Amino acid sequence: MDYLRNFFVNLARSWTAWIGGFLPDWGVNLVNYLVVGIILVLMPVIATLTLTWMERKVIGRIQNRIGPNRVGPWGIFQAFADAVKMLIKEDIVPSGADKPVFNLAPILIAGAAALLWAVVPFGRGMIGQNLNIGALYVVAVGSITTIAVIMAGWSSNNKFALLGAFRVVAQLLSYEIPMVLSIATVVLVTGTMRMGDIVERQVAPFIVVLPVAFITYLLAAAAETGRAPFDLLEADSEIVAGYFVEYSGLKFGWFYIAEYGNLFAIAAITTTLFLGGWRGPFVSVAPALGPFYFVIKSVAVIFVLMWIRGTWPRFRIDQMLAFAWKVLVPASLANLLWSAIVLQIGRQPEQLGPTIVQMILLLVGNVAILAVTGLLLGRAARRYAAQHGWAGA
Amino acid sequence: MTAETIATAQATAAASHPYNEVVPGAVLEATKTGLVVSPDRIVELARYLRDEQGYDYCSMVTSIDWPQYFEVVYYLYGAATPKDALVLRVRLTDKANPVMPSLTSVWRGADFQEREVYDLMGVRFEGHPNLRRILLWEGFEGHPLRKDYKEPYFEEESKPFKSRHPDGAHQWAEDRVPWKDNVSYPVGWDPDLWRSPEVQYRRIMGVDEATGNGDGLRTERILVNMGPQHPSTHGVFRMVIAVEGENVVGLEPEMGYLHRCHEKIGERNTYIMNIAFTDRLDYVSSMSNNLGYVLAVEKLMGLQVPERAEYIRVIMAELTRIISHLIAVGFLFNDLGAYFTPALYGMRERELILDLFEAAAGSRMMCNYMRFGGVMADLPAGWVERARNLVWNRLPKVMEDFENLLSGNEIFQSRTHGVGVLTAAEAINYSMSGPMLRASGVPYDVRRAEPYSIYDRFEFDVCSRPEGDVWARFRVRMDEIYQSLRILKQALDGLPEGPIMPPGKKQYQVRVPAGEAYARIEGPKGELGFFVVSDGKPNPYRYHVRAPTFINLTSLEKMTLGHKIADAVVILGAVDIVLGEVDR
Repeated sequence: MDYLRNFFVNLARSWTAWIGGFLPDWGVNLVNYLVVGIILVLMPVIATLTLTWMERKVIGRIQNRIGPNRVGPWGIFQAFADAVKMLIKEDIVPSGADKPVFNLAPILIAGAAALLWAVVPFGRGMIGQNLNIGALYVVAVGSITTIAVIMAGWSSNNKFALLGAFRVVAQLLSYEIPMVLSIATVVLVTGTMRMGDIVERQVAPFIVVLPVAFITYLLAAAAETGRAPFDLLEADSEIVAGYFVEYSGLKFGWFYIAEYGNLFAIAAITTTLFLGGWRGPFVSVAPALGPFYFVIKSVAVIFVLMWIRGTWPRFRIDQMLAFAWKVLVPASLANLLWSAIVLQIGRQPEQLGPTIVQMILLLVGNVAILAVTGLLLGRAARRYAAQHGWAGA
Repeated sequence: MTAETIATAQATAAASHPYNEVVPGAVLEATKTGLVVSPDRIVELARYLRDEQGYDYCSMVTSIDWPQYFEVVYYLYGAATPKDALVLRVRLTDKANPVMPSLTSVWRGADFQEREVYDLMGVRFEGHPNLRRILLWEGFEGHPLRKDYKEPYFEEESKPFKSRHPDGAHQWAEDRVPWKDNVSYPVGWDPDLWRSPEVQYRRIMGVDEATGNGDGLRTERILVNMGPQHPSTHGVFRMVIAVEGENVVGLEPEMGYLHRCHEKIGERNTYIMNIAFTDRLDYVSSMSNNLGYVLAVEKLMGLQVPERAEYIRVIMAELTRIISHLIAVGFLFNDLGAYFTPALYGMRERELILDLFEAAAGSRMMCNYMRFGGVMADLPAGWVERARNLVWNRLPKVMEDFENLLSGNEIFQSRTHGVGVLTAAEAINYSMSGPMLRASGVPYDVRRAEPYSIYDRFEFDVCSRPEGDVWARFRVRMDEIYQSLRILKQALDGLPEGPIMPPGKKQYQVRVPAGEAYARIEGPKGELGFFVVSDGKPNPYRYHVRAPTFINLTSLEKMTLGHKIADAVVILGAVDIVLGEVDR
């Protein structure tokens, strides 16, 4: 029972002890790094195989359909069938394509999706590398996606792909800012950039302390990964598939894997930053529960994103940029400023994480920011509608 | 007598016509089926009719190939203040080189229709801004609607072809005529050397203008082909778009990928064969197509339709309108990027209505239900109860859901307000019809302006919105569903017992007296007109369809310029085209 209570850590210990029996210390480290590395690199693939099925089922239900139900029980092997199909498809490179760049783009984008997993804490101590600049790393690795997408769009020699790449530049650059600002708020409040420590210091999930930061991060992250309603870079009804329109077979598959890997990754990071990560009831008694809580919370976030995809229409590019610069950036700046002020009030030395009073003050400030933003938006919408003589806007 | 002396003789006969006092020598003859107008004075007369007489709406342009001359026919109505039809007929006696001035400067709505006449009949319109082939491609030899045109695999002038049944067995024409034997190209035309004519897009590409935005930065437009294979062109429609960044600076619709020369086949068919053939026009609303066609032929035959059949026709037509609008609204959201959800909810209700169609007509989509003088079969037992349940209980609830989930969506509102605006005057001038016209603030509905069937008995409102944007088009369609439900309630309540066909034996070969008739109905997508000319034979001499979505596309360029690419898709979605009808 004790073994089960901290199952994953104990499993790792037994494993290390076992291979330590016949390997030198450096060998043990090498093997352990390799095993963890392979698990983390496989995360996007695992995410794709599970999340495509989940997305198709969820959206099927939203759309009053059954969804996949032919391959395996409840269609759970549908994703494998799709993967096989993708593997055996012909690999087509357009004749006018810039071949090295064209081939590099899917590798880069899938690589970026895998790299994100290095700093995600699945449970106490269960983290690939508890980097001291973890939050910064998340932002930096996320930007690699941008470059890969531009590479794909530019090298395809396709006008739709190029238009998709244009949009990517505009969209990802603008949404990077509110995303960084909302992560910075969390970093400020917890006083650390280590992803593992951010969870440790989240006594109450930050979603109830910093709702503005949570909403901003979720929206910006959805935009970063091109999820609805910000899926302009691959808007199928406008520019067909956007930047990866010319890809086929396994290269297309890598984009697919990157998309779902990123989806899971942003859900995981949202969970880490705002939903208390692996924290939950009885985790102190049985740390092995941590990963389960973590996955459940992540899946809940993913479900919300799928729900949005299944129900909302898409923004237009100008509206989307306006939304980022005129709404998200000011709101998250105000939030950052308020957090900085609150944390200076009654600050004790050696303080780890915010005190109760500070948390209440933060929440009050956040609610005020939300209210003011909503008020201003509503007023602007009414004024705009009145100017143009529209009713019911 | 030469052509000139004929003209002078007619001129003296019709000199007393009131229009001749304003535009001397314009009206050559006032016939039962319209005014015969001199091609030299028609532009003047048209401008006078538009500005002074209130004939602001050029509903239909078509042409007839008579043995002595080509006749181009313009059907004019008043849209701002409803007026009865005025028909202008231009007779072009020079059959080798028929030329007449274009009326696009008066009614922009004549643009595509004149191009169609040029394409299919070979009448050239001087002064037309873009007189190119519209439905056929540049390598097509001949003008198919001319009576001397023989298509590949030509067998006989009219169906049923006796050559298909040599020994009582059926034989495919394609098996007997080897491929390519009678496909011909224009002189000096080599299909292998044919390249997409870039030159035709010079206008939208602005290559003749200086490029650059003034600050020394050289910019370049790129030409994007939206379609014919594109997820949101609703079929094989192609929008050639010139873009600067995200902004649309030029647009040219290209169509005809689904062209099958419906009208030529219609002339080969017997009258009754065409009923089934009209199903294939706008395949979403086959019942309405049937209705329009049988009304036109009934006008010629002078048939009286039994009461019950009239009610059934109205019920079917209104159910069709609901289907069409549900699909239009659902797929508008698809174009906006809502990932099929509203479309599938619309489809679900459509299935229920299609069940009703299947029960009555035996077919879900290609209903082939109306007949000259009535309908094909009576409603089966229990049909009315199912329809009542749908109309009174199910559909109002569904509409409530649609209102709650769709109309109030912030993103939807911000995407559609102020997008693709057409003012009332523009909408009329561009011959918009149906929801497109009403969304621009013109409360013009054929069911009210010129009631057909028994629409004068029902209470309903003509839905119209002043904004003229995509939002208004959405709103008008939603409101029309409520009005259709209102009509359906009255029709289902008033449905009498009785025969569904006029007395007499059922005929396969109907006798249609010589003459011409134009029947127009308020189809779900706009004014759907059928123009039938009979010479007393078993096949129509001329059969023309006024396809509402084809003509609604005339204003696509006007609506789209200056918007973003994403808006172009939405504006096209709000036109609600069906390619079966556009390309015919």
